[in-house]
Amino acid sequence: MITFGILSQIAALFFTLLSMGLLLAGLGRNNVRLVQAGKRGLLSAMIATTLASIALAYLFLTDNFQVEYVASYSDRALPIFYKATAFWAGQKGSLLFWAWVLSLFIGLVIFNNRKEPDDRNTPYVYLVMAGTLSFFLFLLCAISNPFDTLNFMPRDGQGLNPMLQNPGMIFHPPTLFLGYIGFTVPFAYAIAAMITGSTDAGWIRKTRVWNVLSWIFLSIGIILGGQWAYVELGWGGYWAWDPVENASFIPWLVSTAFIHTTIIQERRGIMKVWNMVLVQLTFILCIFGTYLVRSGILQSVHDFGATGLGGYFLFFLVVVTIGGIYLLAESYSEFKTPGSVESYLSRESTFLFNNVILLALAFATLLGTVFPILSEAVTGNKITVGQPFFNQVNTPLFLMLLLLTGIGPLIGWRKASTSNLRRNFLFPAIVALMAGIIMVVFGVRQSYALLAFTLAAFVGGTIIQEYITAIRSRKKLTGESSPGAAVKLLWKMRRRYGGHIVHFGLAMMVVGIAASSAYKLEKQATLKQGENMTIGDFTLEYENFRQYEKYNRTVYAATLGVFREGNRIDEMEAERRYYVNAKQPTTEVAIRSTLAQDLYVTMPGIGQGNEITLKVAVNPLLIWIWFGSGLMVVGGILAIIPSRRRES
Amino acid sequence: MSRKDSMFIAAILVLLTTLLLPATGIAELTETEVSESLICYACPGEPLNIDRCSGGNQMRDVIKKMLAEGKSKAEILDYFVGQFGDSILTTVPKKGFNLIAYTGPFIGLLVGFPVAFLVLRRWGSAGRKQSAEQTSSEAVASLDDEMRLRIEKELSEMDEED
Repeated sequence: MITFGILSQIAALFFTLLSMGLLLAGLGRNNVRLVQAGKRGLLSAMIATTLASIALAYLFLTDNFQVEYVASYSDRALPIFYKATAFWAGQKGSLLFWAWVLSLFIGLVIFNNRKEPDDRNTPYVYLVMAGTLSFFLFLLCAISNPFDTLNFMPRDGQGLNPMLQNPGMIFHPPTLFLGYIGFTVPFAYAIAAMITGSTDAGWIRKTRVWNVLSWIFLSIGIILGGQWAYVELGWGGYWAWDPVENASFIPWLVSTAFIHTTIIQERRGIMKVWNMVLVQLTFILCIFGTYLVRSGILQSVHDFGATGLGGYFLFFLVVVTIGGIYLLAESYSEFKTPGSVESYLSRESTFLFNNVILLALAFATLLGTVFPILSEAVTGNKITVGQPFFNQVNTPLFLMLLLLTGIGPLIGWRKASTSNLRRNFLFPAIVALMAGIIMVVFGVRQSYALLAFTLAAFVGGTIIQEYITAIRSRKKLTGESSPGAAVKLLWKMRRRYGGHIVHFGLAMMVVGIAASSAYKLEKQATLKQGENMTIGDFTLEYENFRQYEKYNRTVYAATLGVFREGNRIDEMEAERRYYVNAKQPTTEVAIRSTLAQDLYVTMPGIGQGNEITLKVAVNPLLIWIWFGSGLMVVGGILAIIPSRRRES
Repeated sequence: MSRKDSMFIAAILVLLTTLLLPATGIAELTETEVSESLICYACPGEPLNIDRCSGGNQMRDVIKKMLAEGKSKAEILDYFVGQFGDSILTTVPKKGFNLIAYTGPFIGLLVGFPVAFLVLRRWGSAGRKQSAEQTSSEAVASLDDEMRLRIEKELSEMDEED
């Protein structure tokens, strides 16, 4: 199976390079048959990459520790579903996973275009995607081969890092990868449009679903990463502005800007050059993120270390950037389209300013992420840029963005009249003002938190008002009941309301982030059995201690009774786990989530006589972050469900 | 549902959200509030509030001791900077070359906003020119009813999309 895997990888690279040659020859000679052959070659590469992936998965499931990668990330005691997910636990498997998904996406693009004759753009689209795939396959075959073997057969593997033995491992890395890789498709279409000088919005319409879907996957990946950190790492937070987290967040910000401006190009036929810049920037940042992670030039809690791949990624990055700039310069005059609005107050202008802020946020995050390298190069002192810096710089930018999130969708195209402004914003402004006043009355004094709640109320107000007005109009027109009109509106105008739901989810997230950051309570205590500690409204009583074996670990668990106002309302169990092959014990967090707050308990220490040290936090409204992000994903999905009228 | 009803519902929602917040303000200075400003000296790059290594434990013990002695956050941070230098902080000190990190994004905004205004001004003049041309052509050729209905229908369909 090892040889089969190696041969499959080599075959995939061969088919990809062959396809590139055929596509280039087909384009040079204007020969459709050569282009068709190139496409078939790419499908063969897809099959070969799939077989290589199956081979690696098989080697994990059958505990073949002769394979160095399997021995490094698995062991016999590892539960079977973690054996499968260990596939992408390390560098080499991640690369194979990346190549496999990219090959599947190429296959999907070919399948989607099956009913249309190849226009002059599509061979270039396949060529760009094949070029990207060949880069990853080259790394797999020549530099970082997951099928490399040890010259002996170990009795057991080193096992999977206990931190990675969490359901988050199943979904977080693949969804992030799907997001990163998905942006290859719009990037390829954009490059093709620049080469052929196709200045219409055809490439944007064709790649809209890919854009939004990749954005959705990137969002899910980021959120699952945060959720994983929250339930697994035990420090009580969900986002640490770690370089690897930032590496995924920066392309997310730029792709968000891109999704907004594609709407303008579709509707108004303007901002063509800017969209080309944004789609290239998104792709480059996806690769740059991977470079940051793989080069080891930055220290991260994700701890990938130097992998020797940095130079190759840097080279690929330079080629893509220079190529993109060259093409943009060449096609600039063709794509340059004069825009027109009748007022500074128009939807176009809010989208423009939202782009400025999103890019400023991306720039701030990027600058903070690479600043240790810059600082070392200039001053010789490698400083660390952590959470407080990012919070300080990015929070005001986020608040500005939140304000525009409320304004943008309800302001008219070209020109907003005074009546339009009064009609759409009077009610939300009153709601926001009321929210602010009520917050102050109830003791909210932290200025950023107060602003965040007020602006979130404003965004929520605009959306609720718009929805209620639309329901009323539909009821009048069709005579439907209120619930009927509400559901039909959502379905019939799903692109519009999908966007609104995303924004509503964002407002919910902001409330959760602001409350849990500004009003978090924390306490640490050491307890003997029968003793208790109090935090906020809660009292935790240490009731019981037990030890047991499960799967590949020994578990020490403390049972805690949760009391409020003297009544026992719940029970929690904090754990400390000792995994086979792990050097250090890990803590397993106990969380009691309600709409109002999370009670978050970790057990960093166990002393003599089962005396336990507890670290307890109360995180207000934290669950709103997960609900809000869920809504964002639902809204995104709703927005890309194709409409029948559009298809016809 | 009338506007008054909507306002009432919104007020209730806002009120409920407020009630969900804890009545107390920010709690007294905790170990985490200090440790999130520090990097573990043994695991470079890893914030102390996330780190769980033994080197980090030593630092956390020092923080606990200093907190018990009633030291402020600034005093504790100064102590660690004295021991390990600026690189022990998660916050970039606001001095010298580091100021670029703080000002860079806002300089970006200072450049970005005027550029956006310039773009809008250009779009604005083009838009006014277009409107003027449109008005004069409307005077010459008025649309028949059938055409007007068709345009309105198509516009409303476009509105449904965004």
